Amino acid sequence: MRRATQAIRFALAAGLAALGALPVQAATLFMGAYPDVLLVFDESKGAVTQKIKLDTGLPTSMTLSDDGKRIYVSTITTSGIEVIDAASRKVISKFSLNDGSNRVRFWGGVPDPAGRYFYTVISKIDKEIDRKVSKPLYGVIDLKLGKLVRTADIEKDDEKAIGGYRVAFKVSSDGKYLYAFGEKVIIIDTATLKAIDRIDLAKPEGTGLENVGFGGALETLRTPGQYVSVFNAADPYIHNKMFGVARFDLNSRQFDFTPIGPAPAAMAGLEVTPDGKQAYTVVTNGTLGAKRCEFWHMDLPTNAVVDKAEFPCRSRFRFGMSMDGRKLYIYGASFDIEVYDAKTLKLEATWDLGNDATGAGMVAVP
Amino acid sequence: MKHLRAINKKARRIDDAVTQMEEAIEAAAASGATPPEMEEDVVALQQAPRPHVPMGCTLSFSPGWEVDAGGGTAGLCQPVERDIYDCYVTCFWPVQVPDHVNYSPDWASNCATATKDWRNLDLVFP
Repeated sequence: MRRATQAIRFALAAGLAALGALPVQAATLFMGAYPDVLLVFDESKGAVTQKIKLDTGLPTSMTLSDDGKRIYVSTITTSGIEVIDAASRKVISKFSLNDGSNRVRFWGGVPDPAGRYFYTVISKIDKEIDRKVSKPLYGVIDLKLGKLVRTADIEKDDEKAIGGYRVAFKVSSDGKYLYAFGEKVIIIDTATLKAIDRIDLAKPEGTGLENVGFGGALETLRTPGQYVSVFNAADPYIHNKMFGVARFDLNSRQFDFTPIGPAPAAMAGLEVTPDGKQAYTVVTNGTLGAKRCEFWHMDLPTNAVVDKAEFPCRSRFRFGMSMDGRKLYIYGASFDIEVYDAKTLKLEATWDLGNDATGAGMVAVP
Repeated sequence: MKHLRAINKKARRIDDAVTQMEEAIEAAAASGATPPEMEEDVVALQQAPRPHVPMGCTLSFSPGWEVDAGGGTAGLCQPVERDIYDCYVTCFWPVQVPDHVNYSPDWASNCATATKDWRNLDLVFP
């Protein structure tokens, strides 16, 4: 009898602990997964509830529209784009850019506010006598016609900064400016595809091989027209690298940057709570077996680091946050999500996805 | 041997090639770089100078046999099966693992979780 009571107590305790890991205002998470699906994960149940098949192949990047209604997924197998209706979780359009011996390679991108054009950086691969690979080009994809409609050369000095894969993009809410966040910030006129401004702020190095850039993992942005994240800047004299928080007004092209401290070896973007006051990042120092990872909790009104906690990190991972800002997620290169409490920075639970996730990142919708 | 001298064109070319190789080895040893004659040679991981190790992905298709960017195993995913897909999709090295983009898009169609069911990966015959 006593053993039975104890067993019930343990079961209750385990159940309560599992419930404690579930966010209060649960959302639906979308994640890219192998070999060609999008996982739909219910935060309230802590389980995958649906798999959306992607006919164009393996997802490598996802972008949520500013109104939160559509998810734009880019796929690598056939260089495709699939548009998902976030509410019905159905694919509403899909197409591939590969055409026989002519192929296009791109990694992520961003739709314009009207949802008609998709801006990205592409490479063209044409099979002639030999295979011909173009330099990186600005590319505009017509989502209605399902084809590449405009390309333009990237200026030579900008190629290194944004020519690689997984550069993050944003478009101003009036659709006039395209922002590319790489080794510097480049602002491009969407009408002419010419760079009109350059800002010497660099996205910090990512936390692993797959996080060379942030194509699929641009932080969840809940205020259209604004972008807040961590950046590195170097002084012009001794090139001492500092990290800090930059706030961009995408329409007016104004920004401010507040340095916080010496730049660590790697940072995994910035996740901001819905009230815009608290922010979290993952800082990595050391490499290989000597690698150590820490959560850093920042207070945005004062731009101060208020708490840090080390956690056992994976070789490669991605960093995310629950919709209500109470949970921090470590996921990627694996079939599970490690759930940390945002207040205590302690591990609370591990959710099994039953499916390996790709580096496409995570999109959360209510 | 030092008293031998080349007397025809072919012998002189061999002599020149050997001299150039010896000079390159001396220069490489002075700078710490890999001597040119060793660039395509098979060398041990412990050997100095260290071999070039392609970062992250396996050198042979043998899940579990893999080295990280430093030539060790401390920087690998745990377990290493977690690295398979990153090699398959992003590295494009058809020798080590099938190439997703060009030749074997269906290699992993029956294997959603590499750690648990990597035995379901398809067989690929060249």
